[in-house]
Amino acid sequence: MEGVSYQRFPKIKVREVKDDFMKFELRDTDASIANALRRIMIAEVPTIAIDLVEIEVNSSVLNDEFISHRLGLVPLTSERAMSMRFSRDCDACDGDGQCEYCSVEFYLRVKCLSDQTLDVTSKDLLSSDHTVVPVDYSDASSSFDNTPNKGIIIVKLRRGQELRLRAIARKGIGKDHAKWSPAATVTFMYEPEIYINEDMMESLTLEEKTELVESSPTKVFGIDPENKQVTGKCMIVGNPSAPPGIPLCGSRWPNMIWDYASGEIPCLFFEKVIVVDPEAYTYDDEVLKKAEAMGKPGVVEIHAKEDSFIFTVETTGAVKASQLVLNAIEVLKQKLDAVRLSDDTVEADDQFGELGAHMRGG
Amino acid sequence: MGYDSTMSNTTEDSNQGIDKQHLASHIKNLVDKYQLVPEFLKVRGLVKQHLDSFNYFVRTEIKKIVRANQEIRSTLDPNIYLRYRDVHIGEPSMVFDAVTEKLCPQKCRLSDRTYAAPIYVTIDYTTGSHGQTSVSTKKNVIIGRMPIMLRSSCCVLYGKDEDELARLGECPLDPGGYFVIKGTEKVILIQEQLSKNRIIIDTDKKGSVQASVTSSTEKTKSKTIIKMEKEKVYLELNMFKTKVPIMVVMKAMGMESDQEVVQMIGRDPRFSALLLPSIEECADLKLYTQQQALEFLESDKMLKMPSYSTGPIEKGARALSILRDIFLANVPVHQHNFRKKCIYVAVMMRRMMEAILNKDAMDDKDYVGNKRLELSGQLLSLLFEDLFKTMNDEARRTIDTLLARPSRSSRLDISQYIIKDSITMGLERTLSTGNWDVKRFRMHRKGMTQVVARLSYIGSLGHMTKISPQFEKSRKVSGPRALQPSQFGMLCPCDTPEGEACGLVKNLALMTHVTTDEDERPIMSLCYCLGVEDLEQLSPEELHMPTSYLITLNGLILGKHKSPQRFANAMRRLRRAGKVGEFVSIFVNEKQRCVYIASDGGRVCRPLVIADKGVSRIKEHHMRELRDGLRDFDSFLKDGLIEYLDVNEENNTLIALYEKEATPETTHIEIEPFTILGVCAGLIPYPHHNQSPRNTYQCAMGKQAMGNIAYNQLNRMDGLLYLLVYPQRPLLTTRTIELVGYDKLGAGQNATVAVMSYSGYDIEDAIVMNKSSLDRGFGRCIVMKKYSAICQKYENGTSDRIIKPQRQGPEADRMQILDDDGMAAPGETIRNHDIYINKESPTVTRTPVTSPMGLPDSAYKSSKQTYKGPEGETAVVDRVALYSDRNNNLSIKFMIRHTRRPELGDKFSSRHGQKGVCGTIVQQEDFPFSERGICPDLIMNPHGFPSRMTVGKMIELLGSKAGVSCGRFHYGSAFGEPSGHADTVDAISETLVKHGFSYNGKDFIYSGITGMPLQAYIFMGPIYYQKLKHMVVDKMHARGSGPRVMMTRQPTEGRSRNGGLRVGEMERDCLIAYGASMLIYERLMISSDPFEVQVCRKCGLLGYYNYKLKTGICSMCKNGENISTMKLPYACKLLFQELQSMNIVPRLKLAEA
Repeated sequence: MEGVSYQRFPKIKVREVKDDFMKFELRDTDASIANALRRIMIAEVPTIAIDLVEIEVNSSVLNDEFISHRLGLVPLTSERAMSMRFSRDCDACDGDGQCEYCSVEFYLRVKCLSDQTLDVTSKDLLSSDHTVVPVDYSDASSSFDNTPNKGIIIVKLRRGQELRLRAIARKGIGKDHAKWSPAATVTFMYEPEIYINEDMMESLTLEEKTELVESSPTKVFGIDPENKQVTGKCMIVGNPSAPPGIPLCGSRWPNMIWDYASGEIPCLFFEKVIVVDPEAYTYDDEVLKKAEAMGKPGVVEIHAKEDSFIFTVETTGAVKASQLVLNAIEVLKQKLDAVRLSDDTVEADDQFGELGAHMRGG
Repeated sequence: MGYDSTMSNTTEDSNQGIDKQHLASHIKNLVDKYQLVPEFLKVRGLVKQHLDSFNYFVRTEIKKIVRANQEIRSTLDPNIYLRYRDVHIGEPSMVFDAVTEKLCPQKCRLSDRTYAAPIYVTIDYTTGSHGQTSVSTKKNVIIGRMPIMLRSSCCVLYGKDEDELARLGECPLDPGGYFVIKGTEKVILIQEQLSKNRIIIDTDKKGSVQASVTSSTEKTKSKTIIKMEKEKVYLELNMFKTKVPIMVVMKAMGMESDQEVVQMIGRDPRFSALLLPSIEECADLKLYTQQQALEFLESDKMLKMPSYSTGPIEKGARALSILRDIFLANVPVHQHNFRKKCIYVAVMMRRMMEAILNKDAMDDKDYVGNKRLELSGQLLSLLFEDLFKTMNDEARRTIDTLLARPSRSSRLDISQYIIKDSITMGLERTLSTGNWDVKRFRMHRKGMTQVVARLSYIGSLGHMTKISPQFEKSRKVSGPRALQPSQFGMLCPCDTPEGEACGLVKNLALMTHVTTDEDERPIMSLCYCLGVEDLEQLSPEELHMPTSYLITLNGLILGKHKSPQRFANAMRRLRRAGKVGEFVSIFVNEKQRCVYIASDGGRVCRPLVIADKGVSRIKEHHMRELRDGLRDFDSFLKDGLIEYLDVNEENNTLIALYEKEATPETTHIEIEPFTILGVCAGLIPYPHHNQSPRNTYQCAMGKQAMGNIAYNQLNRMDGLLYLLVYPQRPLLTTRTIELVGYDKLGAGQNATVAVMSYSGYDIEDAIVMNKSSLDRGFGRCIVMKKYSAICQKYENGTSDRIIKPQRQGPEADRMQILDDDGMAAPGETIRNHDIYINKESPTVTRTPVTSPMGLPDSAYKSSKQTYKGPEGETAVVDRVALYSDRNNNLSIKFMIRHTRRPELGDKFSSRHGQKGVCGTIVQQEDFPFSERGICPDLIMNPHGFPSRMTVGKMIELLGSKAGVSCGRFHYGSAFGEPSGHADTVDAISETLVKHGFSYNGKDFIYSGITGMPLQAYIFMGPIYYQKLKHMVVDKMHARGSGPRVMMTRQPTEGRSRNGGLRVGEMERDCLIAYGASMLIYERLMISSDPFEVQVCRKCGLLGYYNYKLKTGICSMCKNGENISTMKLPYACKLLFQELQSMNIVPRLKLAEA
């Protein structure tokens, strides 16, 4: 099928954005694109992290490597990262921290002079560049605890102990070390499509319906309290969430229930099972298995939409969540450009066969 | 029933309600009873057996020993004597430059000293000689220094709280129970032995039944065997050359009447029939009287050693003394009254004959009740006794020689001749080598002490509870290795090594106590008060009356009792009331018609709750008082709510696991079922769901896991230290973990594990690891190694010196890390071949030099010490410690630290005996992820499960997953479900569902590579993983060319010598079979030890190459006419030469190839 274009125009619909959290829908594309985006967010969006530590004095209980490792994992604000140079590509310097294009210098000078244990935190890191500082979480979390936020603890010092060091932060990507990964969590799920066969559902008793609803470990289904329409043969019991009362024995209507609470005359109601939150569904198949066990396979049908994804992105704070997505798309574009540019080298690559492709892919 | 249906319904409901309450109250009871376990451990500590034993030795036993050998009296002048009046042990200290300095254990560890305390004695002694003597008294005379067990009553750590311990540099979680000898921590292993002074019926190699007694008293130790051979009964005693007919022995002991012997054994005609041949044999020998029998025994063909005393002694006296002192030495003989001994022999014979008639009466040597555990106190007391006696003997000998000398200048002061060093040195040497050589008791045992394993906290704890076997490990027997039912609750059923020592080396269970000796005199008199009829008053006939039982105390027959059950009950009541020691056991053996009372040391016992007719004596209010701190474990004992039972007495009980299971016959109730496991097995969550060997494997592996070893780990200078950078406490804990403090000194991390196949690099138990997890610190570890140097002083006054490093010159770059003082500076990166101490030694160390301090530089030769580590690894000097050692030399210890992140081939293990190496490390983006964003740290292949059947691991995963979701640590104590110490899978599943997970712990997972969902749900959740000490960097080895052994010129062996990889016999066989001759030639000669030789074709011997004449010459033929040059392995040439040196001439016959 030559000449057929498979071009699609993926759409993003943002549902929720916070500084370090974002939820959006990605539609009209397939898993490869969605996954590429996810992978880039984790591994290839550059950030800045401490990469070299020169320790001058360390009389703390933790050893030099330990502290260096901890420093490396402190997230630094990295809005500048996209425009910075990789230290290895920088021709202006030799990566000694003096170079404004590729590195940022930090100092940490703390000594404990009091009898109380002193916490050395990321707040004590003094940056030479005000745009690259340790991430401040104070405003985000102050809402629910009012202890003064002191940043990320690096080490605790006892009286007389001292820590003095110089650190150089560099640009890097998560592929090289997890400290450069801006993503705390990047995940997506296929959007589920849930179809309830109303006719079959009607044939279930209330107990069966609640059982079916409760069989899902997550709150996907619910019994609709709003849908109180009185039909010719069914009426609703006052409070559907109350435990089911004693069914009237010998009744033609097993759904018919005494309502002791209101003292009302028994009425017949029709409870509707509705989908409360389709995205809560974890593809656990529990509901389907339950339906099958009840002898009603097909009462609920669930499919994954092949072309629509719900992304959840949480960042470490190094980059804003929204920026992370944009950066990821930017990196993806750069990579695609790289592939396109290397078209003319295909001939040269042919002699390597499959190996050539790998070499290009890096 | 007049109720209508609704009524009955409600009553049923209320019934259920009551039932529920009833059940709940039971469960409450059980949960509460658990509180006794921590209380028990608080009172007794984890290594209470060692501490109790040592305390007993220090408080009681040492005084007994000194009292028994209290006098040194000159043989020449009996007026000259020295008498020890009192002995006690002081505070740990050492004398340094004539100043006594107090010691603490940490100081000893760091400066390689022995943690020992002076042994003080008070002495009365005479001064002067030859009639002019005067008696004086000296107090606090030091006769030696006793190594002190840490945390014992003599130790400075005794009774100290956490803060005080921290101030002394000690870890509060360290259990003590070991010694510090010359800076190394030594533990005396618990020794397992067959019980002493008890009749054991078994068969010898030939299959004949024998009764044996290993007697052990303060004076002598002997083994007496009475056996049935060829239908006759004989005595075997190693004082006699051959076996002695038993009737002769009886007659020699004054039992001249055969009838009396028969009566003593019992009038059952079957016994008489068995004895008849023996009686006949004695009659054939024509021995009728005691004197005749004694003379027969003394004859040369019977007695082993000819009499060495010269004086004429009465005939038969020697035989009599053997019978008195060596034969059954544990039965005392007063004033030649052998009656008790005769009865003892009769009882032995009776038991033997019973065993002949009925094989069931045979004793089981592997039965734990027949075993005794010898602890450090007992072993030290043996050693001390020997050294003390030796010292006294030596003092006596010195005095005698001094007295024998005619003229002396000063007054003789006997107190000066008790030499201090012999005891100090003897104790120190024995403890540091572990070789117990006590000639006096014919004891030569090796490997009794071991260096405390400090690889992990749990390893060192496990080391203290280890029991070393009585048999040598090489014996191929299954009996002693098998799990004995009598081990229940006493010895851990899981914790035993694999391989040759399997089942022989055991470990104590959590609540086991090992008894110490207790004075038997009060018990003896108490028995007589309770109606035991004394043996002396009994006629032989009465001995085995069908209505009476024999009463035995520590193997000694006291007498008989008409109503044994009442007697036993009375004794037990007295014990519960605290009138008799709590560890005295009373055991009614109905089969043997005996009541055994035991108060000897080394029995294993454990506490149990007493129940009356199935109702526990511990009530809710008792537990409330315990919680409120009004009670402790001892008060439970004192009030008779709990008692200790040993293995024998357990046979008289019916023990219910839980109170709800108790029947009216129940006499005791278990405290907690998980206490049947030991310390190491206690770490395993849900061990009762695992296949048994898996728990055993984990017990061995838990000791290799890295983590934290102690709170003071960084202040210690251990030879090799493995630490985890971020150790965690397990999400799924057990009660034991909390009790032993594993939650404070964990050795592992909670890894999120996905059980799935991934990448193919996970076959054969390999695990796939997430690179980002490793970046973030998972499995990161610190390895520290000690290097030490001594600045030695020599006998001629010279000493080593440490000099300033050269900053220029050829050595300068290797000395970069040195400070100006010539020692490596802390914090410096140290590389292979770097010098860490720039030391020089004088060339002349023996002969005197004129000015030892001012030697010229030329008189020194360099003795720098260089660091040898793997190339490319950046290790760091962590700490440098300077101290003066025992000989007052300056010593320096360097700790070299290396931080490692996990790499391919590092070994990891869960707590279920499932070890695996890291097969590959994968980028996080390639790792599978769930829609919650959870990405595992580790992927484990599901093939690890079916054959291993470690269901416990699956439950651990579930429980941990529920734990992280709900924020509560879940429990998985052994057999803990009924008592609430283990969360049930049902409850866990409920929690999981509540938090939106599937009840079965499986998650819906997307592939990280494609972004597509995986076909299967993946079992995923946290599992506690241990990093084991086996790491690739320590093992990786390859060699091209390298060093060779001098003698054979073949490549060296072993990684440490950069050795070659051997093509062994089997590999060679393969190559031969394949016909790869050139490869064999290359491997076995070219790449190994090729050597060119000159061979004389005529004589076939090797010649040599004359470089002047440039020809080969045969030294045999004295010419170079028939010389051929050929190659052969140097080892071959060596063989020829060695053969020649043995007068064998190997000749080579050459042919054209």
